[in-house]
Amino acid sequence: MSRAWLAVFAAVILLPLAVRHAIASEIWIFAIFGLGLNLLLGYTGLLSFGQSTFFGSAGYVSGYLLKHYGINVFAALGIGVLVGAVSAALVGYLCVQRSGLYFIMLTFALNQMFYFIAYQWTTVTGGEDGMPGIGRPVLLGVDFRQPLAYYIFVALLFLVSLWVMKRIVESPLGKILQAIRENEVRAQAVGYDGARLKLLAFVIGGAFSGLAGVLYAMLFGIVPLEAIGFVFSGNVVFATLIGGSGSLYGPIVGSFVFIWLSESVSVVWARWPLLLGVAFVIVVIFFRGGCVEAWARFWSWRERRRMATRLAS
Amino acid sequence: MALLRTENVTKAFGALTAVNGVSLEVEAGSLHSIIGPNGAGKTTLFNLFTGQLTPTSGRIVFDGRDITGTPSHRVAHLGIARSFQRTNVFPALSLLDNVWIAAFARRGSWRGFAWRRADRYPEVTERALAALRDVGLQDRANQLAREISHGEQRQLELAIALAAAPRLLLLDEPAAGLSPDETQRMVALVRGLKGRYTIVLIEHKMDIIMGVSDRVSVMHFGSLIAEGTPAEIQRNADVQRAYLGGVVVE
Repeated sequence: MSRAWLAVFAAVILLPLAVRHAIASEIWIFAIFGLGLNLLLGYTGLLSFGQSTFFGSAGYVSGYLLKHYGINVFAALGIGVLVGAVSAALVGYLCVQRSGLYFIMLTFALNQMFYFIAYQWTTVTGGEDGMPGIGRPVLLGVDFRQPLAYYIFVALLFLVSLWVMKRIVESPLGKILQAIRENEVRAQAVGYDGARLKLLAFVIGGAFSGLAGVLYAMLFGIVPLEAIGFVFSGNVVFATLIGGSGSLYGPIVGSFVFIWLSESVSVVWARWPLLLGVAFVIVVIFFRGGCVEAWARFWSWRERRRMATRLAS
Repeated sequence: MALLRTENVTKAFGALTAVNGVSLEVEAGSLHSIIGPNGAGKTTLFNLFTGQLTPTSGRIVFDGRDITGTPSHRVAHLGIARSFQRTNVFPALSLLDNVWIAAFARRGSWRGFAWRRADRYPEVTERALAALRDVGLQDRANQLAREISHGEQRQLELAIALAAAPRLLLLDEPAAGLSPDETQRMVALVRGLKGRYTIVLIEHKMDIIMGVSDRVSVMHFGSLIAEGTPAEIQRNADVQRAYLGGVVVE
Protein backbone atom coordinates (compact mmCIF):
# COMPACT_ATOMS: atom_id res chain seq x y z
CA MET A 1 0.00 0.00 0.00
CA SER A 2 1.45 3.31 -1.03
CA ARG A 3 1.75 6.46 1.05
CA ALA A 4 -0.86 8.17 -1.10
CA TRP A 5 -3.45 5.51 -0.26
CA LEU A 6 -2.66 5.74 3.44
CA ALA A 7 -3.18 9.50 3.24
CA VAL A 8 -6.51 8.98 1.44
CA PHE A 9 -7.69 6.46 4.05
CA ALA A 10 -6.65 8.76 6.87
CA ALA A 11 -8.53 11.64 5.24
CA VAL A 12 -11.65 9.53 4.80
CA ILE A 13 -11.63 8.60 8.48
CA LEU A 14 -10.63 12.00 9.90
CA LEU A 15 -12.65 14.30 7.67
CA PRO A 16 -16.06 13.80 9.35
CA LEU A 17 -14.44 14.71 12.68
CA ALA A 18 -13.24 18.03 11.30
CA VAL A 19 -16.17 19.28 9.22
CA ARG A 20 -19.91 18.70 9.02
CA HIS A 21 -20.87 15.37 7.52
CA ALA A 22 -22.67 16.99 4.60
CA ILE A 23 -19.55 18.95 3.66
CA ALA A 24 -17.35 15.89 4.08
CA SER A 25 -19.67 13.94 1.77
CA GLU A 26 -19.67 16.76 -0.74
CA ILE A 27 -15.87 16.77 -0.81
CA TRP A 28 -15.72 13.11 -1.86
CA ILE A 29 -18.56 13.52 -4.35
CA PHE A 30 -16.78 16.43 -5.95
CA ALA A 31 -13.59 14.39 -5.93
CA ILE A 32 -15.30 11.62 -7.96
CA PHE A 33 -16.46 14.32 -10.39
CA GLY A 34 -12.88 15.63 -10.58
CA LEU A 35 -11.40 12.16 -11.16
CA GLY A 36 -13.62 11.83 -14.23
CA LEU A 37 -12.63 15.23 -15.56
CA ASN A 38 -8.96 14.63 -14.96
CA LEU A 39 -8.90 11.57 -17.20
CA LEU A 40 -9.76 14.06 -19.95
CA LEU A 41 -7.87 17.13 -18.73
CA GLY A 42 -4.74 15.67 -17.18
CA TYR A 43 -4.25 12.42 -19.03
CA THR A 44 -5.72 13.09 -22.48
CA GLY A 45 -5.08 16.82 -22.55
CA LEU A 46 -8.68 17.70 -23.37
CA LEU A 47 -10.13 20.70 -21.55
CA SER A 48 -13.79 19.79 -21.27
CA PHE A 49 -15.77 22.78 -20.19
CA GLY A 50 -19.03 20.87 -20.09
CA GLN A 51 -18.69 18.17 -17.46
CA SER A 52 -21.83 19.30 -15.63
CA THR A 53 -23.82 18.09 -18.64
CA PHE A 54 -23.21 14.52 -17.50
CA PHE A 55 -23.34 15.32 -13.79
CA GLY A 56 -26.68 17.11 -14.10
CA SER A 57 -28.28 14.70 -16.56
CA ALA A 58 -27.54 11.76 -14.29
CA GLY A 59 -28.84 13.69 -11.28
CA TYR A 60 -32.10 14.53 -13.06
CA VAL A 61 -32.78 11.06 -14.43
CA SER A 62 -31.93 9.12 -11.29
CA GLY A 63 -33.50 11.79 -9.10
CA TYR A 64 -36.74 11.57 -11.07
CA LEU A 65 -36.82 7.79 -10.75
CA LEU A 66 -36.03 7.94 -7.03
CA LYS A 67 -38.66 10.56 -6.44
CA HIS A 68 -41.52 9.10 -8.44
CA TYR A 69 -40.79 5.38 -8.44
CA GLY A 70 -38.69 4.97 -5.32
CA ILE A 71 -36.17 2.75 -7.08
CA ASN A 72 -33.39 0.92 -5.31
CA VAL A 73 -30.39 3.07 -4.46
CA PHE A 74 -27.99 0.84 -6.39
CA ALA A 75 -30.29 0.95 -9.40
CA ALA A 76 -30.27 4.74 -9.10
CA LEU A 77 -26.47 4.78 -9.03
CA GLY A 78 -26.22 2.34 -11.92
CA ILE A 79 -28.65 4.37 -14.01
CA GLY A 80 -26.74 7.53 -13.12
CA VAL A 81 -23.47 6.01 -14.30
CA LEU A 82 -25.18 4.87 -17.50
CA VAL A 83 -26.80 8.26 -18.17
CA GLY A 84 -23.45 9.95 -17.54
CA ALA A 85 -21.69 7.61 -19.95
CA VAL A 86 -24.35 7.83 -22.68
CA SER A 87 -24.66 11.62 -22.54
CA ALA A 88 -20.85 11.84 -22.61
CA ALA A 89 -20.79 9.54 -25.65
CA LEU A 90 -23.21 11.86 -27.48
CA VAL A 91 -21.40 15.06 -26.53
CA GLY A 92 -17.98 13.48 -26.93
CA TYR A 93 -18.76 12.16 -30.39
CA LEU A 94 -19.39 15.70 -31.61
CA CYS A 95 -16.54 17.29 -29.69
CA VAL A 96 -13.65 14.98 -30.59
CA GLN A 97 -14.12 15.88 -34.25
CA ARG A 98 -12.48 19.20 -33.42
CA SER A 99 -9.45 20.17 -31.40
CA GLY A 100 -8.10 23.10 -29.41
CA LEU A 101 -10.32 26.09 -28.87
CA TYR A 102 -13.11 24.69 -31.03
CA PHE A 103 -13.21 21.57 -28.91
CA ILE A 104 -13.54 23.62 -25.72
CA MET A 105 -16.26 25.83 -27.19
CA LEU A 106 -18.20 22.78 -28.36
CA THR A 107 -18.18 21.22 -24.90
CA PHE A 108 -19.35 24.55 -23.54
CA ALA A 109 -22.06 25.09 -26.16
CA LEU A 110 -23.49 21.61 -25.73
CA ASN A 111 -23.48 22.14 -21.97
CA GLN A 112 -25.53 25.29 -22.48
CA MET A 113 -27.94 23.34 -24.67
CA PHE A 114 -28.53 20.77 -21.93
CA TYR A 115 -28.86 23.58 -19.42
CA PHE A 116 -31.62 25.25 -21.36
CA ILE A 117 -33.46 21.99 -21.85
CA ALA A 118 -33.45 21.56 -18.06
CA TYR A 119 -34.44 25.21 -17.64
CA GLN A 120 -37.42 24.96 -19.99
CA TRP A 121 -38.67 21.48 -19.15
CA THR A 122 -40.18 22.62 -15.87
CA THR A 123 -42.72 19.77 -15.55
CA VAL A 124 -39.87 17.32 -15.06
CA THR A 125 -36.88 19.30 -13.83
CA GLY A 126 -38.67 22.07 -11.96
CA GLY A 127 -36.75 24.62 -14.03
CA GLU A 128 -35.18 27.32 -11.91
CA ASP A 129 -36.57 25.87 -8.69
CA GLY A 130 -34.70 22.63 -9.20
CA MET A 131 -36.03 19.13 -8.63
CA PRO A 132 -36.65 18.71 -4.89
CA GLY A 133 -37.92 15.77 -2.88
CA ILE A 134 -35.27 13.21 -3.70
CA GLY A 135 -35.09 10.79 -0.81
CA ARG A 136 -32.28 8.65 0.47
CA PRO A 137 -33.64 5.14 0.75
CA VAL A 138 -33.20 2.68 3.57
CA LEU A 139 -30.88 -0.10 2.53
CA LEU A 140 -30.22 -3.36 4.38
CA GLY A 141 -31.61 -1.81 7.53
CA VAL A 142 -29.27 1.19 7.33
CA ASP A 143 -31.04 4.51 7.19
CA PHE A 144 -29.10 6.72 4.83
CA ARG A 145 -30.92 9.77 6.11
CA GLN A 146 -28.42 9.59 8.94
CA PRO A 147 -25.65 11.98 7.79
CA LEU A 148 -22.87 9.71 9.03
CA ALA A 149 -24.33 6.62 7.37
CA TYR A 150 -24.57 8.49 4.10
CA TYR A 151 -21.05 9.82 4.54
CA ILE A 152 -19.70 6.29 4.91
CA PHE A 153 -21.65 5.20 1.84
CA VAL A 154 -20.22 8.09 -0.22
CA ALA A 155 -16.71 7.57 1.11
CA LEU A 156 -16.77 3.89 0.18
CA LEU A 157 -17.98 4.69 -3.33
CA PHE A 158 -15.26 7.30 -3.59
CA LEU A 159 -12.61 4.73 -2.63
CA VAL A 160 -13.98 2.31 -5.22
CA SER A 161 -13.96 5.08 -7.84
CA LEU A 162 -10.40 6.00 -7.01
CA TRP A 163 -9.32 2.38 -7.27
CA VAL A 164 -11.07 1.98 -10.63
CA MET A 165 -9.49 5.17 -11.97
CA LYS A 166 -6.09 4.06 -10.71
CA ARG A 167 -6.47 0.81 -12.61
CA ILE A 168 -7.47 2.69 -15.76
CA VAL A 169 -4.58 5.15 -15.70
CA GLU A 170 -2.07 2.38 -14.96
CA SER A 171 -3.38 0.23 -17.80
CA PRO A 172 -2.21 0.50 -21.40
CA LEU A 173 -5.15 2.84 -22.00
CA GLY A 174 -3.68 5.30 -19.50
CA LYS A 175 -0.39 5.34 -21.39
CA ILE A 176 -2.10 5.60 -24.76
CA LEU A 177 -4.21 8.57 -23.67
CA GLN A 178 -1.06 10.32 -22.46
CA ALA A 179 0.58 9.58 -25.78
CA ILE A 180 -2.37 11.19 -27.55
CA ARG A 181 -2.02 14.21 -25.28
CA GLU A 182 1.68 14.45 -26.02
CA ASN A 183 1.55 13.96 -29.77
CA GLU A 184 -1.63 12.87 -31.48
CA VAL A 185 -0.11 12.62 -34.97
CA ARG A 186 2.55 10.24 -33.74
CA ALA A 187 0.02 8.22 -31.76
CA GLN A 188 -1.99 7.79 -34.95
CA ALA A 189 1.15 6.85 -36.84
CA VAL A 190 1.93 4.01 -34.44
CA GLY A 191 -1.61 2.71 -34.81
CA TYR A 192 -4.09 4.40 -32.47
CA ASP A 193 -7.37 5.88 -33.59
CA GLY A 194 -7.15 9.20 -31.74
CA ALA A 195 -10.79 10.21 -32.10
CA ARG A 196 -12.12 6.89 -30.89
CA LEU A 197 -9.83 6.75 -27.86
CA LYS A 198 -10.65 10.32 -26.93
CA LEU A 199 -14.31 9.35 -27.12
CA LEU A 200 -13.61 6.44 -24.77
CA ALA A 201 -11.98 8.84 -22.31
CA PHE A 202 -15.10 10.98 -22.55
CA VAL A 203 -17.39 8.05 -21.81
CA ILE A 204 -15.35 6.96 -18.78
CA GLY A 205 -15.21 10.53 -17.51
CA GLY A 206 -18.95 10.84 -18.07
CA ALA A 207 -19.62 7.69 -16.06
CA PHE A 208 -17.71 9.13 -13.10
CA SER A 209 -19.57 12.43 -13.47
CA GLY A 210 -22.86 10.55 -13.53
CA LEU A 211 -22.06 8.70 -10.31
CA ALA A 212 -21.13 11.99 -8.65
CA GLY A 213 -24.33 13.61 -9.93
CA VAL A 214 -26.60 11.00 -8.36
CA LEU A 215 -24.73 11.07 -5.04
CA TYR A 216 -25.01 14.86 -5.06
CA ALA A 217 -28.76 14.73 -5.68
CA MET A 218 -29.23 12.27 -2.81
CA LEU A 219 -26.99 14.31 -0.52
CA PHE A 220 -29.02 17.49 -0.75
CA GLY A 221 -32.35 15.90 -1.67
CA ILE A 222 -32.57 18.18 -4.69
CA VAL A 223 -31.12 18.62 -8.15
CA PRO A 224 -30.63 22.38 -8.42
CA LEU A 225 -30.56 23.88 -11.89
CA GLU A 226 -26.94 24.92 -11.24
CA ALA A 227 -25.96 21.24 -11.23
CA ILE A 228 -26.15 21.28 -15.01
CA GLY A 229 -24.90 24.84 -15.48
CA PHE A 230 -21.59 26.09 -16.83
CA VAL A 231 -20.46 27.47 -13.47
CA PHE A 232 -20.47 23.94 -12.15
CA SER A 233 -18.45 22.78 -15.16
CA GLY A 234 -16.01 25.57 -14.50
CA ASN A 235 -15.74 24.76 -10.80
CA VAL A 236 -14.59 21.22 -11.40
CA VAL A 237 -11.95 22.41 -13.87
CA PHE A 238 -10.88 25.03 -11.35
CA ALA A 239 -10.67 22.56 -8.49
CA THR A 240 -8.75 20.03 -10.58
CA LEU A 241 -6.20 22.61 -11.72
CA ILE A 242 -5.68 23.87 -8.17
CA GLY A 243 -5.20 20.33 -6.94
CA GLY A 244 -2.96 19.36 -9.85
CA SER A 245 -4.03 17.91 -13.16
CA GLY A 246 -0.78 16.02 -13.62
CA SER A 247 -1.52 13.54 -10.88
CA LEU A 248 -4.19 10.96 -10.14
CA TYR A 249 -4.63 12.48 -6.68
CA GLY A 250 -4.71 16.12 -7.80
CA PRO A 251 -8.48 16.35 -8.20
CA ILE A 252 -8.96 14.97 -4.68
CA VAL A 253 -6.78 17.67 -3.17
CA GLY A 254 -8.52 20.22 -5.40
CA SER A 255 -11.94 19.08 -4.32
CA PHE A 256 -10.91 19.36 -0.69
CA VAL A 257 -9.60 22.90 -1.11
CA PHE A 258 -12.51 24.02 -3.24
CA ILE A 259 -15.40 22.59 -1.21
CA TRP A 260 -13.83 23.46 2.09
CA LEU A 261 -13.33 27.07 1.00
CA SER A 262 -16.77 27.38 -0.50
CA GLU A 263 -18.61 25.81 2.44
CA SER A 264 -16.58 26.99 5.43
CA VAL A 265 -15.06 30.32 4.45
CA SER A 266 -18.13 31.49 2.53
CA VAL A 267 -20.05 31.60 5.84
CA VAL A 268 -17.51 33.97 7.37
CA TRP A 269 -16.62 36.00 4.33
CA ALA A 270 -18.93 36.51 1.39
CA ARG A 271 -16.08 37.47 -0.93
CA TRP A 272 -14.45 34.05 -0.65
CA PRO A 273 -14.18 33.50 -4.43
CA LEU A 274 -11.47 36.17 -4.23
CA LEU A 275 -9.32 33.70 -2.28
CA LEU A 276 -9.99 31.09 -4.89
CA GLY A 277 -8.95 33.52 -7.60
CA VAL A 278 -5.69 34.26 -5.81
CA ALA A 279 -5.04 30.55 -5.35
CA PHE A 280 -5.70 29.99 -9.03
CA VAL A 281 -3.32 32.76 -10.12
CA ILE A 282 -0.59 31.37 -7.86
CA VAL A 283 -1.07 27.91 -9.31
CA VAL A 284 -1.01 29.07 -12.91
CA ILE A 285 2.08 31.24 -12.45
CA PHE A 286 4.19 29.17 -10.04
CA PHE A 287 2.87 25.65 -9.80
CA ARG A 288 1.45 24.40 -13.05
CA GLY A 289 1.11 21.01 -11.40
CA GLY A 290 -1.12 22.43 -8.64
CA CYS A 291 -0.95 21.58 -4.94
CA VAL A 292 0.48 18.16 -5.70
CA GLU A 293 3.48 19.69 -7.45
CA ALA A 294 3.91 22.33 -4.75
CA TRP A 295 3.99 19.55 -2.16
CA ALA A 296 6.53 17.50 -4.14
CA ARG A 297 8.75 20.53 -4.65
CA PHE A 298 8.58 21.40 -0.96
CA TRP A 299 9.77 17.91 -0.05
CA SER A 300 12.60 17.82 -2.54
CA TRP A 301 13.66 21.29 -1.32
CA ARG A 302 13.68 20.08 2.29
CA GLU A 303 15.58 16.98 1.29
CA ARG A 304 18.21 19.05 -0.47
CA ARG A 305 18.56 21.38 2.52
CA ARG A 306 19.04 18.47 4.85
CA MET A 307 21.70 17.05 2.57
CA ALA A 308 23.42 20.41 2.44
CA THR A 309 23.53 20.80 6.22
CA ARG A 310 24.80 17.25 6.58
CA LEU A 311 27.56 17.92 4.08
CA ALA A 312 28.46 21.17 5.85
CA SER A 313 28.83 19.55 9.26
CA MET B 1 8.48 -9.60 -55.19
CA ALA B 2 7.63 -5.98 -54.57
CA LEU B 3 6.41 -5.40 -51.01
CA LEU B 4 5.34 -1.87 -51.78
CA ARG B 5 4.22 -0.65 -55.18
CA THR B 6 2.87 2.70 -56.28
CA GLU B 7 1.09 3.22 -59.57
CA ASN B 8 1.08 6.74 -60.95
CA VAL B 9 0.58 8.36 -57.58
CA THR B 10 -0.14 12.07 -57.73
CA LYS B 11 -0.80 14.52 -54.94
CA ALA B 12 -1.80 18.10 -55.66
CA PHE B 13 -2.30 20.86 -53.12
CA GLY B 14 -4.31 23.34 -55.14
CA ALA B 15 -2.08 24.50 -57.98
CA LEU B 16 1.01 22.83 -56.54
CA THR B 17 1.63 19.25 -57.58
CA ALA B 18 3.87 17.93 -54.82
CA VAL B 19 3.99 14.37 -56.12
CA ASN B 20 3.51 13.83 -59.83
CA GLY B 21 2.79 10.40 -61.32
CA VAL B 22 5.22 8.43 -59.20
CA SER B 23 5.46 4.71 -59.95
CA LEU B 24 7.83 2.87 -57.67
CA GLU B 25 8.53 -0.67 -56.58
CA VAL B 26 10.24 -1.59 -53.33
CA GLU B 27 11.56 -5.15 -53.25
CA ALA B 28 11.04 -7.14 -50.07
CA GLY B 29 14.21 -7.24 -47.99
CA SER B 30 15.90 -4.38 -49.82
CA LEU B 31 16.99 -0.93 -48.75
CA HIS B 32 15.55 1.53 -51.22
CA SER B 33 16.59 5.17 -50.95
CA ILE B 34 14.75 8.19 -52.25
CA ILE B 35 16.87 11.26 -52.81
CA GLY B 36 16.17 14.66 -54.23
CA PRO B 37 16.53 18.36 -53.44
CA ASN B 38 14.43 20.05 -50.74
CA GLY B 39 10.81 20.31 -51.83
CA ALA B 40 11.08 17.44 -54.29
CA GLY B 41 8.09 15.73 -52.63
CA LYS B 42 9.86 12.97 -50.72
CA THR B 43 8.16 13.49 -47.39
CA THR B 44 4.81 14.00 -49.10
CA LEU B 45 5.32 10.60 -50.69
CA PHE B 46 5.85 9.08 -47.23
CA ASN B 47 2.71 10.80 -45.98
CA LEU B 48 0.84 9.16 -48.85
CA PHE B 49 2.27 5.73 -48.03
CA THR B 50 1.22 5.98 -44.39
CA GLY B 51 -2.22 7.49 -44.87
CA GLN B 52 -1.51 10.92 -43.41
CA LEU B 53 -2.48 12.19 -46.85
CA THR B 54 -4.71 10.73 -49.55
CA PRO B 55 -3.44 10.75 -53.14
CA THR B 56 -5.27 12.89 -55.68
CA SER B 57 -4.96 9.98 -58.10
CA GLY B 58 -3.08 6.71 -58.43
CA ARG B 59 -2.82 3.58 -56.34
CA ILE B 60 -0.62 2.40 -53.48
CA VAL B 61 -0.35 -1.36 -53.01
CA PHE B 62 1.25 -2.93 -49.95
CA ASP B 63 1.82 -6.67 -50.04
CA GLY B 64 -0.85 -7.15 -52.71
CA ARG B 65 -3.37 -5.04 -50.85
CA ASP B 66 -4.64 -1.65 -52.02
CA ILE B 67 -4.00 0.79 -49.16
CA THR B 68 -4.75 4.01 -51.05
CA GLY B 69 -6.44 6.41 -48.63
CA THR B 70 -6.41 4.03 -45.66
CA PRO B 71 -6.22 6.10 -42.43
CA SER B 72 -2.82 6.16 -40.75
CA HIS B 73 -3.74 4.17 -37.65
CA ARG B 74 -4.91 1.29 -39.87
CA VAL B 75 -1.82 1.44 -42.05
CA ALA B 76 0.25 1.06 -38.89
CA HIS B 77 -1.59 -2.16 -38.07
CA LEU B 78 -0.71 -3.57 -41.48
CA GLY B 79 2.94 -3.31 -40.52
CA ILE B 80 4.18 -0.05 -42.00
CA ALA B 81 6.12 2.00 -39.48
CA ARG B 82 7.80 5.31 -40.07
CA SER B 83 10.16 7.72 -38.45
CA PHE B 84 9.71 11.44 -38.96
CA GLN B 85 12.03 14.04 -40.36
CA ARG B 86 11.25 16.44 -37.55
CA THR B 87 11.62 14.69 -34.23
CA ASN B 88 8.21 13.41 -33.33
CA VAL B 89 8.23 11.62 -29.98
CA PHE B 90 6.14 11.78 -26.79
CA PRO B 91 8.14 14.37 -24.81
CA ALA B 92 6.70 13.93 -21.31
CA LEU B 93 6.83 10.14 -21.37
CA SER B 94 9.79 7.96 -20.49
CA LEU B 95 11.81 6.42 -23.30
CA LEU B 96 10.44 3.02 -22.35
CA ASP B 97 6.85 4.29 -22.55
CA ASN B 98 7.57 5.91 -25.91
CA VAL B 99 8.47 2.57 -27.43
CA TRP B 100 6.09 0.56 -25.24
CA ILE B 101 3.13 2.35 -26.78
CA ALA B 102 4.32 1.51 -30.28
CA ALA B 103 4.93 -2.11 -29.31
CA PHE B 104 1.49 -2.44 -27.72
CA ALA B 105 -0.25 -1.09 -30.83
CA ARG B 106 0.99 -4.07 -32.84
CA ARG B 107 -0.07 -6.63 -30.28
CA GLY B 108 -3.20 -7.49 -32.23
CA SER B 109 -5.40 -7.96 -29.18
CA TRP B 110 -6.97 -5.26 -27.06
CA ARG B 111 -8.02 -7.57 -24.25
CA GLY B 112 -7.89 -5.96 -20.84
CA PHE B 113 -6.29 -2.84 -22.25
CA ALA B 114 -8.29 -0.49 -20.00
CA TRP B 115 -7.96 -2.60 -16.88
CA ARG B 116 -4.92 -4.84 -16.74
CA ARG B 117 -1.85 -3.06 -15.39
CA ALA B 118 0.56 -2.05 -18.11
CA ASP B 119 3.45 -3.88 -16.41
CA ARG B 120 1.54 -7.15 -16.75
CA TYR B 121 2.34 -7.32 -20.45
CA PRO B 122 5.83 -8.81 -20.28
CA GLU B 123 6.03 -9.61 -24.00
CA VAL B 124 5.27 -5.97 -24.91
CA THR B 125 7.81 -4.65 -22.43
CA GLU B 126 10.35 -7.14 -23.76
CA ARG B 127 9.82 -5.98 -27.33
CA ALA B 128 10.01 -2.34 -26.25
CA LEU B 129 13.31 -2.95 -24.45
CA ALA B 130 14.64 -4.81 -27.48
CA ALA B 131 13.85 -1.78 -29.66
CA LEU B 132 15.70 0.49 -27.24
CA ARG B 133 18.63 -1.94 -27.28
CA ASP B 134 18.64 -1.90 -31.08
CA VAL B 135 19.32 1.84 -31.07
CA GLY B 136 21.58 1.79 -28.01
CA LEU B 137 19.29 3.61 -25.57
CA GLN B 138 18.60 0.73 -23.20
CA ASP B 139 20.42 2.43 -20.31
CA ARG B 140 18.19 5.48 -20.42
CA ALA B 141 14.84 3.67 -20.48
CA ASN B 142 13.46 5.57 -17.49
CA GLN B 143 14.47 9.05 -18.57
CA LEU B 144 11.90 11.36 -20.12
CA ALA B 145 12.08 11.87 -23.86
CA ARG B 146 12.33 15.64 -23.49
CA GLU B 147 15.43 15.31 -21.30
CA ILE B 148 17.67 13.54 -23.80
CA SER B 149 19.78 15.18 -26.51
CA HIS B 150 18.62 15.80 -30.04
CA GLY B 151 20.78 13.00 -31.35
CA GLU B 152 19.32 10.59 -28.84
CA GLN B 153 15.83 11.73 -29.73
CA ARG B 154 16.59 10.80 -33.32
CA GLN B 155 17.57 7.34 -32.12
CA LEU B 156 14.39 7.16 -30.06
CA GLU B 157 12.43 8.16 -33.15
CA LEU B 158 13.88 5.13 -34.87
CA ALA B 159 13.22 2.89 -31.86
CA ILE B 160 9.52 3.82 -31.88
CA ALA B 161 9.32 2.65 -35.49
CA LEU B 162 11.22 -0.57 -34.70
CA ALA B 163 9.10 -1.40 -31.65
CA ALA B 164 6.13 -1.85 -33.96
CA ALA B 165 7.90 -4.89 -35.51
CA PRO B 166 7.31 -3.44 -38.96
CA ARG B 167 7.29 -5.30 -42.24
CA LEU B 168 8.15 -2.06 -43.98
CA LEU B 169 10.22 0.63 -42.33
CA LEU B 170 10.04 4.17 -43.70
CA LEU B 171 12.88 6.38 -42.48
CA ASP B 172 12.56 10.09 -43.17
CA GLU B 173 16.03 11.64 -42.92
CA PRO B 174 17.11 9.84 -39.77
CA ALA B 175 20.30 11.88 -39.67
CA ALA B 176 18.60 15.29 -39.94
CA GLY B 177 20.34 17.83 -37.74
CA LEU B 178 22.94 15.42 -36.39
CA SER B 179 26.61 16.20 -35.79
CA PRO B 180 29.18 14.27 -37.88
CA ASP B 181 29.79 11.91 -34.96
CA GLU B 182 26.13 11.27 -34.40
CA THR B 183 25.62 10.82 -38.14
CA GLN B 184 28.30 8.11 -38.13
CA ARG B 185 26.45 6.33 -35.35
CA MET B 186 23.14 6.63 -37.19
CA VAL B 187 24.64 5.25 -40.40
CA ALA B 188 25.97 2.27 -38.47
CA LEU B 189 22.53 1.81 -36.97
CA VAL B 190 20.75 1.87 -40.32
CA ARG B 191 23.34 -0.48 -41.77
CA GLY B 192 22.65 -2.85 -38.89
CA LEU B 193 18.94 -2.84 -39.73
CA LYS B 194 19.54 -3.61 -43.37
CA GLY B 195 18.48 -7.13 -44.24
CA ARG B 196 16.31 -7.44 -41.11
CA TYR B 197 13.68 -5.10 -42.50
CA THR B 198 12.50 -3.82 -45.83
CA ILE B 199 13.51 -0.18 -45.63
CA VAL B 200 12.69 2.94 -47.60
CA LEU B 201 15.10 5.72 -46.71
CA ILE B 202 14.84 9.40 -47.48
CA GLU B 203 18.16 11.12 -47.08
CA HIS B 204 20.14 14.16 -48.15
CA LYS B 205 23.57 13.02 -47.15
CA MET B 206 25.11 11.27 -50.14
CA ASP B 207 27.65 9.28 -48.12
CA ILE B 208 24.82 7.56 -46.27
CA ILE B 209 22.86 6.82 -49.44
CA MET B 210 25.71 5.49 -51.49
CA GLY B 211 27.05 3.29 -48.73
CA VAL B 212 23.90 1.45 -47.71
CA SER B 213 21.34 1.48 -50.54
CA ASP B 214 20.42 -1.41 -52.83
CA ARG B 215 18.35 0.84 -55.08
CA VAL B 216 18.14 4.60 -55.34
CA SER B 217 15.24 6.64 -56.78
CA VAL B 218 15.72 10.30 -57.53
CA MET B 219 12.86 12.77 -57.19
CA HIS B 220 12.83 16.23 -58.68
CA PHE B 221 9.86 18.62 -58.63
CA GLY B 222 7.52 15.80 -57.61
CA SER B 223 8.55 13.36 -60.35
CA LEU B 224 10.90 10.41 -60.43
CA ILE B 225 13.72 11.27 -62.81
CA ALA B 226 15.96 8.25 -62.34
CA GLU B 227 16.24 4.92 -60.63
CA GLY B 228 19.07 2.44 -60.32
CA THR B 229 21.89 1.12 -58.20
CA PRO B 230 23.95 3.70 -56.32
CA ALA B 231 26.73 3.42 -58.90
CA GLU B 232 24.34 3.99 -61.80
CA ILE B 233 22.82 7.01 -60.09
CA GLN B 234 26.22 8.55 -59.45
CA ARG B 235 27.01 8.35 -63.14
CA ASN B 236 23.62 9.63 -64.29
CA ALA B 237 23.99 13.06 -65.87
CA ASP B 238 20.37 14.14 -65.26
CA VAL B 239 20.77 13.47 -61.59
CA GLN B 240 23.96 15.43 -61.40
CA ARG B 241 22.31 18.41 -63.04
CA ALA B 242 19.14 18.29 -60.95
CA TYR B 243 20.43 17.29 -57.62
CA LEU B 244 24.12 17.89 -57.44
CA GLY B 245 24.18 21.07 -59.46
CA GLY B 246 26.71 19.62 -61.90
CA VAL B 247 29.24 18.75 -59.22
CA VAL B 248 30.53 15.23 -59.69
CA VAL B 249 30.60 13.16 -56.56
CA GLU B 250 33.77 11.18 -56.19
